Amino acid sequence: MNNLHIQKSAKNGLVFAVIIIFLALIGFTVTAASMIQKVFGVEVSVGTMPKYSALIAFLAFIGLWNGWRAAKQTEEHPLQAGHAILAGLASGFVTGLFALGYSLIVGTLQSNGVNVRVYLSSLSPESIIYFLFGQSPLSGGFIQLSLSTVSAAFGALLVIFWDRSQHQFLIWKQKLSAWGNASWPAKLRRNVFVGYIAMGVVLLLLVILPRTWGSYWNYVMGTVGIYVLLGIGLNIIVGYSGQLVLGYVAFFAIGAYSFALVTAPEPHNLNWNFWIAILVAVVASAISGVLIGLPILRLRGDYLAIVTLGFGEIIRILIKSDLLKEITLGPRGIRNIAGPTLFGKSFSSDSDFMYLIILAVLLSIFLARRWQESRIGRAWLAISQDETVAQATGVDTYKYKLLALAIGAAFAGLGGAIFASRNQFTGPEDHVLMVSINVLCLVIVGGMGSIPGVILGAFALKGLPEILRELESYRLLVFGALLVLMMIVRPEGLWPATRPKYEENSPPPVTVEGGSR
Amino acid sequence: MAEEHHKRPVKMPQLNIKIIRLIAAFVVLVLLILRIHNVALESQLGASTWLRLSVSGLIIGGMYALIAIGYTLVYGILFMINFAHGEVMMIGSFGGYFVFEAFNAIPVTLHDGTQISFLNAQPVIAILLAFLIGMGIAALTGYFLEKIAYRPLRGAPRLVPLISAIGASIFLQNAGQLLFGPQRRQYINPVIIDRGLGWQIPIAGTKVLLTYSGIFSLVLSATLMVALYLLVQRTKLGRAMRAVAQDKRTAALMGINVDKIISQTFVISGALAGSAGVMWGIHNGLTNYFVGFLPGIKAFTAAVLGGIGNIPGAMIGGLFLGIVESIGPAALGIDFQLQDVIAFSILILVLILRPSGILGEALTEEKV
Repeated sequence: MNNLHIQKSAKNGLVFAVIIIFLALIGFTVTAASMIQKVFGVEVSVGTMPKYSALIAFLAFIGLWNGWRAAKQTEEHPLQAGHAILAGLASGFVTGLFALGYSLIVGTLQSNGVNVRVYLSSLSPESIIYFLFGQSPLSGGFIQLSLSTVSAAFGALLVIFWDRSQHQFLIWKQKLSAWGNASWPAKLRRNVFVGYIAMGVVLLLLVILPRTWGSYWNYVMGTVGIYVLLGIGLNIIVGYSGQLVLGYVAFFAIGAYSFALVTAPEPHNLNWNFWIAILVAVVASAISGVLIGLPILRLRGDYLAIVTLGFGEIIRILIKSDLLKEITLGPRGIRNIAGPTLFGKSFSSDSDFMYLIILAVLLSIFLARRWQESRIGRAWLAISQDETVAQATGVDTYKYKLLALAIGAAFAGLGGAIFASRNQFTGPEDHVLMVSINVLCLVIVGGMGSIPGVILGAFALKGLPEILRELESYRLLVFGALLVLMMIVRPEGLWPATRPKYEENSPPPVTVEGGSR
Repeated sequence: MAEEHHKRPVKMPQLNIKIIRLIAAFVVLVLLILRIHNVALESQLGASTWLRLSVSGLIIGGMYALIAIGYTLVYGILFMINFAHGEVMMIGSFGGYFVFEAFNAIPVTLHDGTQISFLNAQPVIAILLAFLIGMGIAALTGYFLEKIAYRPLRGAPRLVPLISAIGASIFLQNAGQLLFGPQRRQYINPVIIDRGLGWQIPIAGTKVLLTYSGIFSLVLSATLMVALYLLVQRTKLGRAMRAVAQDKRTAALMGINVDKIISQTFVISGALAGSAGVMWGIHNGLTNYFVGFLPGIKAFTAAVLGGIGNIPGAMIGGLFLGIVESIGPAALGIDFQLQDVIAFSILILVLILRPSGILGEALTEEKV
């Protein structure tokens, strides 16, 4: 243990100090504590703070992580217990010192009657007192200091334990995989029918669930479904053909508005049939995709991203403006948009919409997979790998990029139409840039070019925040951090795409017009 | 920042595109001139109105130029759009806001017994400190932004740092919202750079008001631009930056610490964005977490307009965009609601018709 190690640990402690102070400043400590308390089955009553034990649990968790990282940083083989614990202690102590300083500053300001909340809007007086465990600033700060130091030391102990038991873990892992390869899981995996049965069970669930789980779940899952639809569309553009489009919401808006305009009583009173209107929305979006794509698809990468962002904003501003007020009703939005009808009967209950969304998602998955495995998909793959090479091998890159944009736009239009129909309303505020960002996030977090990834991403990024309501205000913050983190740690996404292997079974492809690799 | 490129042999299809672009540019120009001509004939606006609009455009344009320089510097070195640059400006704006707020809260008793705030008793110190802190915080943000979000991605495919930049932008924006709240905050200016007072200039019978805050912003942004130009052209750091922009590997062989230069580039561009943020607050009087988004995109437009990677281009592009955006709605006879559409349309038109910008050299396809 030399100076360098102490320095490293101190640096680690500094990072965690910044994290803790930031979390306290944005009020996340209280939210996290109340969620921890909820997990243990004790509801937090409105207007009160959760119990101090929950706060201790949250801070201890961060402290453990702190110690874990500090001890890992020593990079010794084999790990020396004394050094690891010392590193953990040092790191935890530095973090604790900063927490103490923060407590002193905020606590003193608070007790001198300064309303910190005027400037830092998440920092209510109650949350400051809560952070100090109801004590005076000094003693509250010392509780923070000791908590941080002790938990970091325990974190370091965890590392030691992990290091000592790694050998045992390896043996267990080998035993497990040996058992999995020899016993019934292997037989199950080899059996073709298992896949079909699993698919059948999923289908059965999809048929039964919307009828049984009530309107709340239908609403949440319907939102997730619409985002899966959007994700699959954007996945074709970003994942398959490799064109980063940031204005995806433009197509969503065009779909929603063209659907709304031909079905709603106001402003045009056309009252078209639901299915024709959906078709109109899809076609309108696809055409707009082609029209927008024609001039800009020669651009690449970041330029394309920012130009499409510009298009998205232009369309939203136009919808909102007085210029198109007679057509789109401006900022008021369009109300009373029709629901689905079939043979003169109305099908607009929650579960009906859920079925509609499920059907649309299944259709889009089917289409996307068919396209991916066709010549078009191979052309997209080539373009996304290296556009210049693709062009050199005879792929008409412009045509295929345009096709990807049109298909992606059509999916967005379908999603927009269903969204507008389900809400019976659409307005300019439904079509802000954040929709594009959300969809992009779920595609990237799930795994670019991977359909299961998109579904997983939609559940994680759209479904989880709907269920964990407390986290709503931190959702976008987490999205941003998640995008950066994913790019650094796992750029291929949670469920990466597996490329279909053409080379193995098929003979070497004869070079023709098209995209064979 | 000149960039050497290997020239591609010109193929026939590319020639056709050039001709089509030329024709399209010509048509767009003719249509615009016709429209402006018609509107100008009908309009009741006097010379003083046009002057007022141009001056206010020039002031905002100076801020765009400062932000655009940041985009251009980073693009020249890393070939990536620093999407979070607008958010760096927002953070700088908050830095200045808090300095003014703090000074406004300190009372000072003058010799004759009147009480005024420290802000007005020592306005020069207050302004200096506001800019120092605003620029300092923004520079720090830029430094850590590069270190956390971009440095680990050096050498990754081009989409990867861009997505990381988008993520950083969303993160900073929402951190700003959670820390400082969603409401708009009013900037309190010292009286010597008041937003409502200024010089009255008589033009064609009416008087045009040049506010102190506007003049101050314009002069300061011009000074900073000159300082930056000198920094890039005359100092050792500037030479190193240009070398890294031209060729990272050779620069490293010549003994330049490339990582350090990239960090310093982010610090400089962050400081410039921070100064633009404080100016934005002083001139427009408001700041909130969203204040960086539109100026960020518009400044990017300005950087593209001037030819990305080109510092004088970014300055000219910024001033030009500011003026066009300010007089555009009046000149085209459209609603002021659509002001933002003008900037986006310019961005799209420039990228389609002349991606290399006004002053930019021809870019290879790799860069566009």
